[in-house]
Parts: sequence; C-alpha cells; structure tokens
Amino acid sequence: MTALGQTAGELRRAVDEARAGWSRVAWITVAAVALAPLVPFLSLPGVRLDSLADTVYLAVAATGLGLTVGAAGLPSLGAGAFMAIGAFTSALLVARSGWPLEPAVLAGAAAALVAGLISGGIVRLRGAFVAAGTWLLAWLVWLFLLAFPSVSGGSQGLILPPKTLLGLDATPTVHFEVALVMLTLTALAIAAVRRGAPGLELSALRQAPRLATSLGVPLGRRRLGAFVASAFVAGLAGALSVQLAAVADPAAYDPFLSFKLLVAVLLGGAAATLGPAAGVAALGLIGLVSDPLARALQLPLERFDTAVAAILLVFVLALGGGGIVPWLRRFFPLQRRTARAGLVAERRERAQASAGPVLQALELRKAFGGVVALDGLSLELARGETVALVGPNGSGKTTALRLISGAEPPDSGRVLFGGRALTGERTPDRVRLGVARTLQATAYFPELTALESVLVGRSVRRHFGGAIRTALVTPNAREEAAQSEAAAREALDLVGLADVAFVPTPELTTSQRRLVALAAALAGEPEVLLVDELAAGAGSEELEYIAEVVGRIRGRGIAVLLVEHNLRLVRLAADRVLVLAAGRSVAEGSVAEVADSDVVRRAYLGTQRL
Amino acid sequence: MTIALQVFVTGLAAGGVYGLFAAGHTLIYRLTGMVNFAFGDLVGLGVFATLLVLSGTAPVTQSGAHEPRFLGALVVGLVFCVSAGILTYFGLVQPYLARGSTIGWVAGTAAVAFAIRAAIGAAFQRSSYVFPDPLPFHRVGHAGFIRIGGAQVQARAFFVIGLALALALGSAWLLEKSRFGRALRAVADDAEGARVVGVPVDLLVALAFGLVGALAMIAAIAAAPGQAVNANTGTLLGLKGLVAALAVRFGPPLLAFGAGLLLGVVESAIANVHLGSWQLGPSYREVLPLAFVLLLIAIWPSREALEEQE
Repeated sequence: MTALGQTAGELRRAVDEARAGWSRVAWITVAAVALAPLVPFLSLPGVRLDSLADTVYLAVAATGLGLTVGAAGLPSLGAGAFMAIGAFTSALLVARSGWPLEPAVLAGAAAALVAGLISGGIVRLRGAFVAAGTWLLAWLVWLFLLAFPSVSGGSQGLILPPKTLLGLDATPTVHFEVALVMLTLTALAIAAVRRGAPGLELSALRQAPRLATSLGVPLGRRRLGAFVASAFVAGLAGALSVQLAAVADPAAYDPFLSFKLLVAVLLGGAAATLGPAAGVAALGLIGLVSDPLARALQLPLERFDTAVAAILLVFVLALGGGGIVPWLRRFFPLQRRTARAGLVAERRERAQASAGPVLQALELRKAFGGVVALDGLSLELARGETVALVGPNGSGKTTALRLISGAEPPDSGRVLFGGRALTGERTPDRVRLGVARTLQATAYFPELTALESVLVGRSVRRHFGGAIRTALVTPNAREEAAQSEAAAREALDLVGLADVAFVPTPELTTSQRRLVALAAALAGEPEVLLVDELAAGAGSEELEYIAEVVGRIRGRGIAVLLVEHNLRLVRLAADRVLVLAAGRSVAEGSVAEVADSDVVRRAYLGTQRL
Repeated sequence: MTIALQVFVTGLAAGGVYGLFAAGHTLIYRLTGMVNFAFGDLVGLGVFATLLVLSGTAPVTQSGAHEPRFLGALVVGLVFCVSAGILTYFGLVQPYLARGSTIGWVAGTAAVAFAIRAAIGAAFQRSSYVFPDPLPFHRVGHAGFIRIGGAQVQARAFFVIGLALALALGSAWLLEKSRFGRALRAVADDAEGARVVGVPVDLLVALAFGLVGALAMIAAIAAAPGQAVNANTGTLLGLKGLVAALAVRFGPPLLAFGAGLLLGVVESAIANVHLGSWQLGPSYREVLPLAFVLLLIAIWPSREALEEQE
C-alpha cells in the first residue's frame, strides 16, 4: 500500500469510528464549544467577563486534575500549589524581569512541571501518603508565599503591568477566548489519553495495582506521567489567570484552592473527562446564589459555602453517586463497543532463537529474616517445554517465581534469560524482555471487560502509544492500538474466551477470570510464562480444559513454568517435574519417575509410612 | 550558650504540642490506614468553644479567667472536640473505609477542616485573640520569665513540656496496659481479625478519634495563652503534627511524639540561631521542615508506605 493510500484508509477508519461513537452528548458538547466563544459579544447583563474567564481557567486546571484523580485515582490535595507556582513564576518574570507574557506563561507552566517531578515520588505510595504529601505541598507553597513577601509582594501582592497576549491587548475577552481554546484542547487530549492505552493502564493500576504491575505496567512511571501532566496544566492555567487578574495575591492561593479543585473534580465526576469542568461550573453557580445572600446577611460565607457544599457532596458520594456528568450520562446511553471487524494480528517476528535453554536459574537463594525460603534452587526451561514446580506449602515455589519474575531480588544466585543475566531488571523490564508471570491471587480489574483486561497486558509491546502520541492521535498510535486489540483478541481466543470479550470481568466465573489473567500475560508475547496455581479450585472437567490450554500455549513455542498443587494437572500438562522441599530441589524427572520417588513421598507426607 | 538553652526550652514546649498531634495522627493511621485532615481543626473547634464560653468573641485579657469557670469552659470545649471527632468518623470516614474508597475520606475530612476553619473565622473575625490564662504564671519569676544562667525562659514552657510528656507517656502506658489499649492494638494489627473475635472495631476507632483530639486539645490550651490564637492555629498545629508523623512514616506513637519534640526544637533553632553572621531567620521556620519531610517521603519512602506492587 502506498503511503497516501494508507493515510486515506486511516482517515476513512477514523471517520467511521467517529460516526460509530457519535452520540447526542457529542452533539451537545460540540454545540457548546461552538457557541461559547460568542459569549463576550452578547453583552449579557450581570455577567462579568473577567470572572468568567477566570472560571474557565479554573476549569482548565480542574480538567487537568481529572487525569490525576479520575484516571490514576490519586487523591491529590495539592493542585492549587501548582497553580500558585505557575502564577508566581510568570508574575515575577513579567513584573520584575520585564518578560513578554507568552514566554513567562510557558516558564510558569514549566516551573509547575518541575515541582511536579520533584514531589512526584509520592505517587508510588499508598493513597493516604499521596493525600498527605500533596496536602503538605499545598501548605508549603502557601506558607512560603506568606513568609517571603520579597517574592510574593506581601499583602498587596505583585502588581502586573498590562501586556499583550498573542499580539492582542490582554483584555478579559482575549483571555476568555484563550481559556476556552485551552479548555477544549486539554479536554480533547485527556479524553484521547483516557480512551487509549495509557488511560487503560492508569485505570488498571488504580483498580488492581499488583495485577497490573505483574503484567509489566510500570506503576511509578505511569502515575508520575499523569501527576506531572496535571501539574503542567495547572501551572499553565495559574500563569494565565494571574495575568488576567493583573495582580498576584498570595491570599488567593491558600490550600483552600487545592481543595476547591478537588471538590470540583468530584462534584462534576472524576470518571468523565468533562466532569471537572462541569464541577467548576456548578461551584460557580452555587457561588452566584450564596454570595449575594452572604453579603445581605453580612456573613463571611465565601468559603463556608464551598466547604458545606463539599460536605454535602461527600455524603452524595457515600450514597454511591459519581458526580454530575456520569449522572447526566444515564439519560444519554452510549452503546457499549462491540467487535471491530477486519483486524488481523501481525505476529511479532522473534529474533531467531539461540540454541540452549531460554531460561536458567542458578543457585537462587532467598531468606526472609531467619527463614530460608529458597536454598540454592537451579532450574532450566527449554523453548516449548512445560515444567511443573511442585512441593508442599512453604517449600519455596512462589518465592522462586517472585525471584525469576523480578518482583524481589535474590540474596544470591542468578537468572539467565536467553543466556543474558537478569540482575537490575524489575518486573516491567523482564515482562518486556519476555518473562511474564500470572499471580496466584484471583485479582481482576473490576471496571474492565475481558478484552480490556487482556489489553493491559499489551502495554509492554507499545512503541507509539505513549501519552503524547495518544493525545495527538498520530497514525502510528492508531495503528498500534488496532494491532494491540487484534493481539489481545488472539490471546483471548487462545484460552477459549473469545465470546466473552466484551463481558465485564465481574460477571465472569473465577476460573474464567483466571484464564483472562493468563491471556493478559500471553498478550505481552512472552517467551517464558510463569504460572502460579492455575488450577486452584478447578473441577475435573475444567482441569482437562486448562491442561488443553497449557498445551496450546506450549504449541506456540512458549516455555511454561507451572507452579501447581494439583498433581492431576501436572500429570496432564507437564513434560518434566521438579520437586521442591524446604527451598531445595529434591527430585527431578518425568511425571512417572517423580511420582514413584521415595524422596517425594517423604517431602509431602513426612517419614512416617502411611 | 544562653541563647541555645532558651531556644531549646521554647522549642521543646512548642514541640510537646506538635508531638501530641503527631502521636494522634500516627495512632489514627495505624488504626485505619487513613489521615484525618480535620484533626487540627477539630482541636481548634474545641479551643475556640472554650474561648467562647470563657469570654464570648471579645478580645480577651488575662483577668477573664477564674478557675471554676475555666474548668467548665474546658469541659465544654472537650465535649465539642470529642463529639465532633466522633461524628466525623461515623459520618465521613467509616463509610468510605468500609467501601475501600480513599478519595471519599480525603475529601470528607478536608471538607470538615475547611468548614470548621471558615466557621471559626466567621465567629471570631479579628486576626488574633489572646487566650485567658487560668494559671498565675505571671507571678512566677520576673513577670512569668525564669532566668537560668543568662537565659530568659517563659515559666509556662516548663509547664507545657511537663504536661505534654505526662499526657504522652500516660496514654502510651494506657495503650500498653489497659483493656482499651490492648483492643486498639489488636485493631491496628488486624482490624478484620479483631472484628471477627468480637471487638467492637468501629466504636473503638471512633472513641480513639475523639480521644486523640482531647489529648491534643489539652496541650494546645496549656500552650495557648503564650501566644496569639486565630482560626489558623488549630489547622497549623494539625499540619505540624502530620509533618512529624510523616517524618517517622507513621511509626509508633511515642516515636511520633519524639519527632514532634524535635520539630519544635528545629523550628525554634531555624528561627533564632545564628552561626557567626549566618542565620536562616524566622521566614524559614515553617517552610524548611515541611519541604524536608515532603522530599523525604517522596524520595525515600518506607516499604510499608509503597503501594502494593509485584
């Protein structure tokens, strides 16, 4: 196909898809986007354009925060800090160094991005620490502004000289239009990211972090990306809104701003891209009613009302509400995506296999405190070979898998993959190289369908599906998304679950979920598959089916290491058996040989004769 | 040398209060895995309820306090603080913990924090208030100051340090020895397990929510007459407590108390100590420790703090 033909086909597919996904919501959104720029020219009574533009800037920051809170599930109480950093950086550059507005605004956003990177280590932590860390950040920035009047201009703030924005006098009208463009672009980019592979991975990490990381999704990096992107958008919005206000006043950036942004996100609906903007609008409307009331009663209510609205909100959330936009969506049902036709998986050509074992473990040792879990285990796996690792509870089987998959470093010993030593590589790197693992626990992604769950496992084969390319919807990213889907469907087909591809995972049976997890690991195109307790709780018919699936995987040339308690499955599926006892290999051989071995009987039953 | 002693004792007095907040934060984290962002403001609510009973919303002078009336006001304040804490737990924390939703309790407790701060700000509109002093410290030494060597130290500081230590050690002892304490430790180890063997987990945690507030409030009131108070006082004390608790990554409560003491001394030193002509000065007092602890947990977190990963 010529490049031109390819592009034309690509365009046609994009149009088809857009048409299929078009809904009444989309019409309403497009109409709103088309009409909103006209607002300044309508001279509506009682509408102050500067406060309107300021609200839209706030909506931009909230939309950015939606990525952190909604997609990544991080409880951030620090979004306002990034607005403040953007605002004061740009304000100082304009007021003190005489910079033009545009580079100053970009510098402000960049400063917020850097602050996000510096504090971003907290995204690896549990929710309570993320919330506490961002809360500290919000207070840190505000206390800094209060403590250093030389930077913040003290109680008067920094007065900003009038400037031009994009060649025009920076009037509220210009700011309003700029803010609208920013809001549209931010929302489009975030919508694309959330629908694409990065959004899927963020949501997988939010729903079941252990399962997602075992599939090779790098938790720290993905979450940091979302956190930093939100920080950048907040910094940009902060830098522009401060120019609109013409004064940088520290009082406007107290930690309440961060809280207000979080409330807007939750009120509008964190699950929807447009939710945060709707939340900002709703808070604005509440303010329109309550502010005059407060003035009439001479009460300093401007904060109290938001706080009370927030308390009401959390009660609404407690009752299971998801915010304004998800609630509205119920009236505009969007059809669930069904099969996309005409996709053929392009199988990745593997580098030609070198002779010899694909995986070797040499003298692996691991102790937890005084307990030696693994005491010098060595094993080898050849291409297309299925080896079962059996042994009584506590004999070190799962520890062996954890060491080989890189979940934990061994105390001593080495793991070789294709002759290459794996040492510093953590789980995501090893999955990318071709060593995948399924977990013993039956964790699953409660908000994803079977196919989407399997797609999470494709993350290690992404080249063009990074957040930026996904946001820009580049042809490569689109093509790769299609290929990923085809590969995921093939993996589902391999485990025999093609017909439940679009079924939400919670509706599947436990053994189906286990097979979905297996398919997810397969979707990453591993050369070695480490399987932990595939048959736990399976009935005898299921067992035969599982053995068949393992046979199919083996037929693909994938080496399988099966940790298994169920000796029937071992008999049905394994070429070779390795028996572990007290962290050491005590017997090795064919199923029949091992079953007759005295050592094995002793390991399982003790020395007593039955 | 004299200035060092002065800085040290003043810092310890502030740190004793921080320490009780830190111990409260860490105890709550260990019981529930959550952070109560309203902790400081709930204590602030108690402090201002006490102030309201004592002298209304007028600015207060030393003469306003008579002992029986003060005790009555203190009891009212404690009741407010404890019951608001318990209500917060049952209304805005427990439902979310039960559903495993982090964002819910984060938004809920932050909402309570800002609502209380706004309410106090609305009722007490001056920028600062003087808390009446029930104890006649001004009669000790030179108008309340004791001279040690060449150092001038507020007599109140020793009282606050002693009280904070007594409260911390006393509650640590209770946690260790009493039935209530044993039950709390069981919940901290394994809430589900404790629930299964019949420990009334929610009731205990709610009580703990209230009681850590009461402890912190007593210390805050003991220290309050020494400086001006306003709606931010409670919030900032809660923040300092959180900083100290995070510095020890929500370790044992007594360790967190120690971190609070240290934070007080460090703040005092940053504000007052100069080495030759080099001095940081009061501007750095609050921001430096905060920035340090934020970087500490961002760059060097404990294993327990990490999200469960493969």
